[in-house]
Amino acid sequence: MSERRPFHRKQPRTWWAQSPYVAYTVRELSGVAVALYGAILLAGLVCLARGPDAFARYRQIVASEASLLIHLLLFVAVVWHVVTWFQTMPKTIPKLILHGRPVPQARLTAASLVFAAVCSVALLAVVVVVGACS
Amino acid sequence: MNDATKKRSIAPVFWLLFGAGGMLSALFGPALILLTGVMLPRGWGVPERFGDYAHVLGFARNPIGKLVILAVIALFFWHGAERLFLTLKDMRAGPLPLLRLATYGVAAVVSLVTLTLLLEIGF
Amino acid sequence: MSDVMVRSKTIELRILRYRPASDAEPVFATYQVPYSDDMSVLQALQSIKDTQDGSLSFRWSCRMAVCGSCGMMINGDPKLACNTFLRDLAPKAVTIEPLQNFPIERDLVVTVGDFVKKIESIYPYIVPKVAKSIEDGAYLQTPGQMAAYESFADCINCMLCYAACPQFGANPDFIGPGAMALLQRYNGDSRDGGQQRRLDSISDEDGVWSCTAVGICSEVCPKQVDPANAVNQNKTKSAFDFFLRFLRPKAAQ
Repeated sequence: MSERRPFHRKQPRTWWAQSPYVAYTVRELSGVAVALYGAILLAGLVCLARGPDAFARYRQIVASEASLLIHLLLFVAVVWHVVTWFQTMPKTIPKLILHGRPVPQARLTAASLVFAAVCSVALLAVVVVVGACS
Repeated sequence: MNDATKKRSIAPVFWLLFGAGGMLSALFGPALILLTGVMLPRGWGVPERFGDYAHVLGFARNPIGKLVILAVIALFFWHGAERLFLTLKDMRAGPLPLLRLATYGVAAVVSLVTLTLLLEIGF
Repeated sequence: MSDVMVRSKTIELRILRYRPASDAEPVFATYQVPYSDDMSVLQALQSIKDTQDGSLSFRWSCRMAVCGSCGMMINGDPKLACNTFLRDLAPKAVTIEPLQNFPIERDLVVTVGDFVKKIESIYPYIVPKVAKSIEDGAYLQTPGQMAAYESFADCINCMLCYAACPQFGANPDFIGPGAMALLQRYNGDSRDGGQQRRLDSISDEDGVWSCTAVGICSEVCPKQVDPANAVNQNKTKSAFDFFLRFLRPKAAQ
């Protein structure tokens, strides 16, 4: 007992960049991409409030090749956010008991991904249809 | 430390905002990015005029349009703020009050600015 | 006739040693261990202790992954030594270290006192929702009601989840996945009425709010307890309680 001298190993400062935590860090950064897209929309709102000339310049920038690339990168990041979001979501609710047994989390994830796809497709469909009819 | 001395955390406020933003972006994020970033600017699948000043202003002047714009911008920022705060905390990027200001603080300012601009634009 | 399998091959074990009386800090020691395909890492450690170095210290008991004693880092992953087999690791050298995120007492033995205190702190017993005397008979529970908390009752307190959790690594006061699994074992039990007091005990920064849903705790768990579910469903409950507590009747507090 008198020999006790517990040794504390320090957590590596870059643990978040090492296995097995890299996937987690990438997942978190995909959530930050959501805000980056929000910033693009905010810029649009600011230009809209400034008037037609400012907004026209905003539209020009958004129509550029660089903007297309940024949006495609953000699209990939946000899709990863969607997938990891619904992988994590079942952990945030009590076990769903159906017919006396817990529903497997993978099934909840699959169902919510289908629902999310339907929502996004529906939004696009509404805009496309309204556009075609006007 | 017994229960009486435990201080309740205010994390729930930010967590619920993070959750709302996460759900909204999970359901509609991909579609919105394609719409505003690819389809509208190029007129692919939607008339290009839908993205012009008159149309967008009309949308932003509509009360429902205002709610949509406010919800999307504010909640997307609150979601990103929580994620960025926790990531910076993981990376030990700085003192926590500074990290909170740089993330939650920015989201709060953005929410206020968005609301103000939407009211400025009028009805 | 000997019924022990012939050990004709050897494997190298690199073990982090630490003797507080003589070592300033932990240092790796290397051992060559004759092994057969049926041997676990635990048996290799026992072979070293029996035939090469009697000073090697490690915890073990059941040898069959139900007692939770032999948790350690094997090639960088938290595992039970009795449940990890040399045939899956050979022929490369095996690196063995004490469980991550815990102070080292000696060799592969870590300090567990704080973990025990955490388990004790979450009211780990049924607080009957409805008081019953023996004469009233047993509390009845359907298989569906049991399924709601069953996985959390499987926890063997091996602490692999704590070794995997980087937020526990950053904050040793975090209540952690194992204690939360035990909490949810009781909160999810239909016979129990102690949900509010347990919720109150984990609504602080060192409670559920230290968790960032990394989720690796559930991946390393040898018993499929799913501690990540225990922690994160209580984030949801704690969050709603934060706002709805003002609607609670005074007596319930």
